Amino acid sequence: MSHPNEPHYEVMWPLSNKAIDKRDASARLPDLNGKVICELWDVIFRGETIYPMVREYIKSKFPGVKFVPYTEFGNFHGAREKEVTASLADKLKAHGADAVIVGIGA
Amino acid sequence: MLRAAALVEKLGIPTVSIIGSAFTKQAQVVSKGLGVPLAMGIYPGTPMVDSEEVLAQKVNEHLAPELLYGLTGKAPDAAPTEIEPLAGEIIMRASLEEIQEHFYQQMWSDGLPIVPPTKERVQAFLNYTDRAPNEVLAVVPQEGRQATIHAVAVTGVLSGCRPEYMPILIAAIEAMVDPHFRIQDCGSTPGWEPVVIVSGPIIKQLDFNHGQGMMRFGRQANTSVGRFIRMFLRNICGYRIPPGAGDKGSIGQSFLAAMAEDEECAKELGWTTFGQDKGFELSENVVTMHSVVSISSPMYSAGDQAQTHVQQWADIMGQSFTYWSHTGFKTGVWNPLIVAGPSVAKVVASQWSKDQVRQYLYDHIKVTARQITHYARMTSTPTFSLERLVADGILAPEYALSDDPDRLLNVILRPDMVEILIAGDPGRNQSRAYMGNHIQGPPTSRKVVLPQHWPFG
Repeated sequence: MSHPNEPHYEVMWPLSNKAIDKRDASARLPDLNGKVICELWDVIFRGETIYPMVREYIKSKFPGVKFVPYTEFGNFHGAREKEVTASLADKLKAHGADAVIVGIGA
Repeated sequence: MLRAAALVEKLGIPTVSIIGSAFTKQAQVVSKGLGVPLAMGIYPGTPMVDSEEVLAQKVNEHLAPELLYGLTGKAPDAAPTEIEPLAGEIIMRASLEEIQEHFYQQMWSDGLPIVPPTKERVQAFLNYTDRAPNEVLAVVPQEGRQATIHAVAVTGVLSGCRPEYMPILIAAIEAMVDPHFRIQDCGSTPGWEPVVIVSGPIIKQLDFNHGQGMMRFGRQANTSVGRFIRMFLRNICGYRIPPGAGDKGSIGQSFLAAMAEDEECAKELGWTTFGQDKGFELSENVVTMHSVVSISSPMYSAGDQAQTHVQQWADIMGQSFTYWSHTGFKTGVWNPLIVAGPSVAKVVASQWSKDQVRQYLYDHIKVTARQITHYARMTSTPTFSLERLVADGILAPEYALSDDPDRLLNVILRPDMVEILIAGDPGRNQSRAYMGNHIQGPPTSRKVVLPQHWPFG
């Protein structure tokens, strides 16, 4: 405990204000039959093994779903990040993307 | 990675992201800072150490069902809005001890005692800039906070800086929020640390140590400016280790004392200074931010021939940094920084230019294709392929001229990527090298802008 004669200080909150443009999540798709799922991969953490398994699992539940593989989009994280990210909107539109799976990491 | 998901969500397309379970808390912080609730499927544990069977089991039993739910189930809820104080608001009146404890409990300190950010102390820092306190330099990850001039001042106070360091602190943050620097990667698992490199007359004016013991704590300018960087990353950006969540440095390293060059020595030798190498005039004050992911052992070298010294640098840098150079191969950026001891630099500069040094290192640090592929696959990238990196234009064609796994490749991607700074003990024949973390934190410079009334020069 501090001594009663010890000086006291008025201190500021040391952080700064947030400036976040908040959005709601996009609507989900209860039925994936007839829908297009695009894959985005940052080419790490065994995605080459994981994505095919995920495709098979989702197809087993919704046989009418179509996948556009990650190879169509390029690595969105790293050397070509700027170009790949800038091209995403057009590419997703061109592929008729209804949903996207993004991986892998944080 | 979640930034890509947020971008897609903002296009009106639902996403779900694959996250390792150890990254869940960081992902929540990032998602909140991006302002978009993001659905996630969790991979339990670490995919890089699981057998094929275990991986298949985890994908089919955990990850894939969660991904499916993320696309078809309930949309993720928005994070609740938190009520926070406003920047500059007085939040408590208390003793030094109580302030230390409160700041520590709130994760507003780095674990060392902080200097209480009183209104008077913060104003003293603001007096050393002509810029408005509410000027926003950028909105920074992970929490979406404003990096303002005021935030720089408050963090400078906390870190034990002197008010007159303010122009250096502003320049450092300006460099780090340059998109080229990639401040969004400051919490990546390699745990790299940005180092501040100071150039120009301000080195003497503010008493930066460029001599013996430069990287030791003890000189206030070097030490507190280095501490400021880590404090800013922690408080304003939100890169906090547990019990926080924004920083995923697996083991990490902590703040580095700021570097400064022995510019008198550089001038005497006829070499350009580090600041000049960055495109500035000798008379200009400059801050360069540079990531450091790894530090070499001390590089002792002897003799009166330039090549003998530089060969020693090549040997030691090769031994210290070759493993991690696969990250440079993947990204096309790999900047080693040599801190050349003045006595060694004197021998080298008497015979070679800086560019000759760079060329020699480029030519003599080698790795086999087999080794570099193995290193990349061990780290995170089982699909690493030199041929594909060449095809993608990330590596020069010479990296795929043959398919001989024992062919030798240049570790340094281009000679001009080697940085050279003269500093350290003039009485000893020691140098040291600092390795950047590829595209994360490449050298990024900013001119230091002094206030109109600068009393030091």
